[in-house]
Amino acid sequence: MIKKLILNISIVAVVVFVLDFAIGRTLRYFYFKETSGQHFRTTCSMETTEADLLVFGSSRANHHYVPEIFEDSLKTTFYNAGRDGNGILFQTAVLKSVLTRYFPKVIILDAGGFNKEKDNYDRLSSLLPYYRTHKEIRSIIELKSPFEKIKLLSQIYPFNSQIIAIATGNLDFFARSKPDNKGYVALHGEWPAEISYNDAYSAYEVDANKIFALREFINIAKKSGAKIFVIYSPVFLKFKKNLDIEVGNDVCSFENVPYWDFSRDTQFLSNRHLFQDRSHLNHKGATIFSKLIVTKIKQGILVN
Amino acid sequence: MVFTSFNFLLFFPGLIAVYFLTPIRFRWPVLLIASYFFYINIKPVFALLLVYISLVTYLLTRLMEKTEVESKRKTCLLINITLILLPLIFFKYFSVINNYLINFLAIRDLRWPLPEIKLFLPIGISFYTFTTIGYIVDVYNEEIEVEKNIGILALFVSFFPLILSGPIERAKNMLPQLKALNKFDYHMVVQGLKLMLWGYFMKLVVADRIGIYVDAIYNHIGQHNGKTLLFASVLYPFQVYADLGGYSLIAIGTARILGIQVMQNFKRPFFATSMSEFWRRWHISLISWLTDYIYTPLSFAFRKFKVWGIVIALMITFFISGIWHGAALTFVVWGIMQGVFLSAEALTNKRKALFEKKHQLNQKAWYIFLGICFTFILFAASQIFGRAESLNSALQVYRRIFTIPGALFIGSPAYLIYSFFGLVMLLFKDFSDEFMPSRFLLFESKHKFIRVLAYSSIIILILLIGVFDGGQFIYFQF
Amino acid sequence: MERKEVMDQLTTIFRKVFSNDSLVLKDELTANDVDQWDSLSHMILITEIEKDFSIKFKLKELNKMRNVGNMIEMIISKI
Repeated sequence: MIKKLILNISIVAVVVFVLDFAIGRTLRYFYFKETSGQHFRTTCSMETTEADLLVFGSSRANHHYVPEIFEDSLKTTFYNAGRDGNGILFQTAVLKSVLTRYFPKVIILDAGGFNKEKDNYDRLSSLLPYYRTHKEIRSIIELKSPFEKIKLLSQIYPFNSQIIAIATGNLDFFARSKPDNKGYVALHGEWPAEISYNDAYSAYEVDANKIFALREFINIAKKSGAKIFVIYSPVFLKFKKNLDIEVGNDVCSFENVPYWDFSRDTQFLSNRHLFQDRSHLNHKGATIFSKLIVTKIKQGILVN
Repeated sequence: MVFTSFNFLLFFPGLIAVYFLTPIRFRWPVLLIASYFFYINIKPVFALLLVYISLVTYLLTRLMEKTEVESKRKTCLLINITLILLPLIFFKYFSVINNYLINFLAIRDLRWPLPEIKLFLPIGISFYTFTTIGYIVDVYNEEIEVEKNIGILALFVSFFPLILSGPIERAKNMLPQLKALNKFDYHMVVQGLKLMLWGYFMKLVVADRIGIYVDAIYNHIGQHNGKTLLFASVLYPFQVYADLGGYSLIAIGTARILGIQVMQNFKRPFFATSMSEFWRRWHISLISWLTDYIYTPLSFAFRKFKVWGIVIALMITFFISGIWHGAALTFVVWGIMQGVFLSAEALTNKRKALFEKKHQLNQKAWYIFLGICFTFILFAASQIFGRAESLNSALQVYRRIFTIPGALFIGSPAYLIYSFFGLVMLLFKDFSDEFMPSRFLLFESKHKFIRVLAYSSIIILILLIGVFDGGQFIYFQF
Repeated sequence: MERKEVMDQLTTIFRKVFSNDSLVLKDELTANDVDQWDSLSHMILITEIEKDFSIKFKLKELNKMRNVGNMIEMIISKI
């Protein structure tokens, strides 16, 4: 009887393997054929762009740095590699992939948080589709869990929960209605309330992996010969103490790179019309901010 | 480890291999070791709790068995139950009461001598405490013989498929099976695997996916409008069903593979046409435990008050059910609401039955449908208290549902689509099991080809749209 | 008392409690077989039986009455 069981389980296993392979490969094919959306933008950042100025970061990078302003004022090619919900680990992975292909001249990192979070490294799932062909980022992806290598035996796994996004990314309709603008995504809402104060001291435990990633990011950027600028873009929040900024600032001064903190810039703190929500500028705010950055960069390049 | 962790997916096959390679005589020790290993993997120190409960129960029940004197037996019973309840009360309720007293007195500028306590609740304590108390009472009532083998008793208390979240089983059903573990039974193993597969589907594809949306809404109640809060509150019962129901199926399936029959915990609850019927289909093991050990003795003691005795018994029983779920006012309100629903039904049962008979309503599809909807609404309304963090939040939800206008918040359309897809599959299966039990047999099809395809498709679906990141099982705080 | 007498008296009680004049009792009859006989009405039934036969049950004995046959035996043992 045990033989019968093992035989039947094997039959199911084979069928699953075949289906997983077929469906997984199909998903992979269409993932890399997308013409719009988050997947497309990340693939651009990692595999196709050759822009001389790159911006890295989370949603704050993605919505705060306007391409035309950088292109016109600095006479440079530009790509915004920021991605919603993805932190320094993701950003370092993308930079690693970029540097296997070419060397950009200017690298901007929109700095985020370095504390230990509840959902650990779940967000690294955005890198899973690239595990296969990008050896340089595998160690970062494997931080997700000790079993990641086993899970990646499934061809579907890297595309878990993405099937609808892959479908819409392939539809012309979405490519036409929301064409890619050098990776930048403009926000158009306006924050309805007045500024709030954040004095609550919540537990902050530094995540060593994130610090390591930040230092790695800075070092490989420097080694590649690029000019690097680390920036904390505006928030619509007043606070006494911001440990993310303090930590970021410390690391950057240790590594001898500029850290520009815009969290106390009154031009933004006094104007809720420039923000869509407490952490994100809208297009109006992003335009003003981008102009500020461009000016500072010009000065920075002149000084050096 | 929990059922949905990778650790379990490695542990369980390994255990199966060891288990079936072991001679039958030594299988129960293997299970005992495995159960402790399973539990230690979560937090080692709490295994001591299991040892304490098993030891105390063993000694006191054997003592109870040795005497014929009624008062002595009763004393053993009461001491035993008290000792077993102490850890539960301490870990679950003490810190809440303690912290409440600190705040209560602080407002009056008084000091409570103890500091604020933050205790980590031993997972499953509510479940195995009840399981053990059931055993003790059954021995006292002479329903079963006392268990002389302390190892078997320890296994009964710590049995890993059931220890974390039930079903809450009875000694009468479990002890004989644990003592007579069988040879490898092909059909039981296959049945168990099917149950586990569907349980994983329910948990990973339906419950955790819906949970993402419900959490997003309920964690920011003040920012969402009435329609959104209503929608999330309607989805939540389905999430709980898929969560606890799915987890129960995995537990039952796991036990089945080991050759042990465990009771069903859910029976297509959303097709109940009244709250009484609902509670015969939802979390069956808990309600049957409460009925046998709390409700029946109470309603028996109050029987001279006729139907009002029943009402009192119901209110007390569901009050206990409420606080069993959590040491918070919201759960008390939840429990009271169940008590009120059932009392109302107890009081109107006769008249309702006569009315239905007169108009031949019981066979009419529309009447059944009405009953199903009404029951669902009542349950969903009570579950708002089950989900909200505090009484204020729950009332805020109610208030906002009726007063805040605005469009439905979608968030991620893809996630809602996946939720609906999974939920429709689940409800369709339940619907066909309920009303057309011999049609649409996929897992039970006569044709091997269809069965293999069905199993494979579910596995593929789990890989495609199951939630792998996060999604903790909600009943773990118990 | 004879078994048949008990059965007849019990039938009257059942018919009254469950408002069903056509109910017929058999030894194997359980709560599953009778509409409205559930945990909510069970105690009402028990109370009526106690009153009618002038007996008093103990809690332990309740569990031993799983079907009508058990009930009859329990009743006979108490009168």
